[in-house]
Amino acid sequence: MVNHDKEERFLMKYVKLFCLLLIAALSTGMQAQTGGSQPAQPQAASPAQPQAAKPAPSIASSVDREVTILEREFVSVAEAMPEDKFNFTPEGMNIQGSDYKKVRTFAEQVKHVATANYGLWAAVTGEKPPYDVSDDEKGPDSVKTRAEIIKFLKDSFAAGHRAAQSLTPENSSETVTTFFGPTPKIFATTFAVAHAFDHYGQMVEYLRMNGIVPPPSRPQPKK
Amino acid sequence: MKHVRIFLLMVALTFAVGAFAQGGAPAKSASPAPQAQTAPEQASIASVVDSQISQYEKNVVGVAEAMPDDKYNFTPNTLNIPGAAYSNVRTFAELIKHTATANYRFWTTLTGEKMPANIKGPNGPDELKTKAEIVKFLKDSFEVGHRAAKTITAQNALEELPFFRGTQPRLYIATATVIHAADEYGQMVEYLRMNGIVPPASRGRM
Repeated sequence: MVNHDKEERFLMKYVKLFCLLLIAALSTGMQAQTGGSQPAQPQAASPAQPQAAKPAPSIASSVDREVTILEREFVSVAEAMPEDKFNFTPEGMNIQGSDYKKVRTFAEQVKHVATANYGLWAAVTGEKPPYDVSDDEKGPDSVKTRAEIIKFLKDSFAAGHRAAQSLTPENSSETVTTFFGPTPKIFATTFAVAHAFDHYGQMVEYLRMNGIVPPPSRPQPKK
Repeated sequence: MKHVRIFLLMVALTFAVGAFAQGGAPAKSASPAPQAQTAPEQASIASVVDSQISQYEKNVVGVAEAMPDDKYNFTPNTLNIPGAAYSNVRTFAELIKHTATANYRFWTTLTGEKMPANIKGPNGPDELKTKAEIVKFLKDSFEVGHRAAKTITAQNALEELPFFRGTQPRLYIATATVIHAADEYGQMVEYLRMNGIVPPASRGRM
């Protein structure tokens, strides 16, 4: 198949990003997991590997890694769409035989995801979002321009990191109230990632319709 | 997100029932002292992962079944959209087969099952051509996912397993596979709409 290399790279993209972020993410996650209740003494506990010791993964680090990967992919796609195309919708293309009635514009896709991110992640941390996210379909009316929308998106990911890093074995099963009703913290945190990647897949198509290859799918220099 | 709301309510109930079935107290009453993971909490994580697999199984199988047999080799490249960048993208069939292949590849890491011998590359077995064959391949891959979710226990959720050229925690591998499927699902949705088909999960909305 012509595009096998590309497909293999696509499969690998999560893993490559993960590898780059592994040490930092795990370190941060472990601190969040153990901090406050037990002084961190990883070096003393691993005398056989004083320098290259790989911190043990935690629930926090494992979930935060997913948020980090999503953030990188999703923000890159949002930023790849030029300002004058930000309100693009396939409905405007009038593709013969298609059914794109009332689908979201590109901007609405991004706002919807950022709103859902806040709705799920802020519920986990218990924080009050600095935006009006009461309408999970549309998002805040006050956020309009490309710059405002991308800032809104990035801010939502910051909430995601806080949510992921707050997870512990003790609290992951706690139920919090989200847009959707009572939801376990671990589910709210990880489902937000899956939900966003669903929309990411749609936004990728919006980009391609406009002649833009999504950044994660562009040719990468071989090592 | 209506379907998601209903789904989450069901998950919350399932989750709570699962935790109590394990004899676990509500998490809020758990000791704040650092302790090893307890069985009820880890069992709950497994049920959460399984719920997410079920959600995207429903979504992906839904769109796979919604695309007519004679459109299975559709690619947006054939639409010749002026200015579009669709050269060498996957066909609808390849999206499905690729998703199923990734499901097999990642989730069999957890179950210890062998990959099907006919999977040679990232788009799955070349001999699977018809809609019926491809949908069966997809459904079978999600069955592996359910078995994989059930392997997650208090003792092994953070156990690192081989994953491509490195290792990843069992919990991460299980959920990253769902995320991958969600990404591909988003693309399948667009392929359906290009063919005048509203995705099943979006019907009756707006």
